[in-house]
Amino acid sequence: MTILFVSDLHLSPERPEVTRAFLGFLQSEASGAKALFVLGDLFEAWIGDDDSCPTGISVQKALKKLTDKGVALFIQHGNRDFFLGKRFMKAAGATLLGDEHLVEYNDQTVLVMHGDTLCTDDIDYIRFRRKIRHPLSKFCLQLLPLNYRQRLANNMRAKSKVANANKPSSIMDVNADAVEMVMSKHQVTTLIHGHTHRPDRHQQENGERIVLGDWHNKGWYLVWDSNGYHLIDFDIRAPSNQ
Amino acid sequence: MITFRTTMGNISIELDFDKAPVSSANFLSYAKDNFYNETVFHRVINGFMVQGGGMTANMQPKQAKGSIENEADNGLKNVAGTLAMARTGDPHSASSQFFINVSDNDFLNHSGKNMQGWGYAVFGKVIEGINVVEKIKSVPTGSSFGHQDVPVDPIEITETIISESYAAK
Repeated sequence: MTILFVSDLHLSPERPEVTRAFLGFLQSEASGAKALFVLGDLFEAWIGDDDSCPTGISVQKALKKLTDKGVALFIQHGNRDFFLGKRFMKAAGATLLGDEHLVEYNDQTVLVMHGDTLCTDDIDYIRFRRKIRHPLSKFCLQLLPLNYRQRLANNMRAKSKVANANKPSSIMDVNADAVEMVMSKHQVTTLIHGHTHRPDRHQQENGERIVLGDWHNKGWYLVWDSNGYHLIDFDIRAPSNQ
Repeated sequence: MITFRTTMGNISIELDFDKAPVSSANFLSYAKDNFYNETVFHRVINGFMVQGGGMTANMQPKQAKGSIENEADNGLKNVAGTLAMARTGDPHSASSQFFINVSDNDFLNHSGKNMQGWGYAVFGKVIEGINVVEKIKSVPTGSSFGHQDVPVDPIEITETIISESYAAK
């Protein structure tokens, strides 16, 4: 049996080909797995479980079909979809994980994270994250009407796009000290994360750091089986006649 | 059988008139009109598919006929060596352009009658010249006239040969 990891799908109505690819992935590769871990940013934006956008509903139903087949589903929040809540998890049959979670399989333990908290050189983002993810902020935001939250999310995404365009690429990658610290804290030799959109396997002094890819022109997933880890990508572009 | 003579060799195609009657008749109609002559395989992505049937060597679109119904719910799968219709985001928007799968592209298969689940209609398969498709998928590609994944050296269909049995349809 295999365990699969994905992250950074950024599903949205604007990119139906990615949703189609993910739904296909759930019906094929994922349906034969023991478990699927989604390490954040399943959605490009999630303004609350009361949002009834068709993309969210179709993904939720597809996830429920997967879990009904007996595949365990675990989801972490990303920096885009941290409002995914209990209602979504229940409807999808998923378990919401904390920001740092240990997975045990084949007598090994690995640490899984979204990865945004490892980008400690991006001080502006870390500050923003601290504010927006504060339980009080989340509580207050959830009380706002849906359409107001929608506008707020759009504004935040637009600002983030502009801000990121002006940041040097290096500060948007993980900080080596932060990686070492979190791996030591949990006493693991393998860390799996997403967020940076730089899929790769890094051999380090203290073990291995595996970075998942974002779903854009390609879909990415990590297979963990008795032979180890396999980082796999596949094309998801649509054969368009335009 | 329909055989395309291309600048990289011949590719022969068998259509599935039983499971994909609309798409097969549509493809045969374009072939009989010699529409595909002087078109190129304009989108080549190794590991995915090679697409053609609508653009000339200088990346000008040929005027196709109307759109056809999507038959992706016919049970045929997008496996390597099969032909399927290219389309826009609208499931029922295919016209002349087709693609040859060079991998098993499960995610292109039909999973439901909605925008995301319709999939891409398979209607035929390569029965001779798969080695030519193998060569095509490996050519160097780049950007051209605003399109990506375009072969650096155009791969053109120069002639369309239709078998007697197909000509009689």
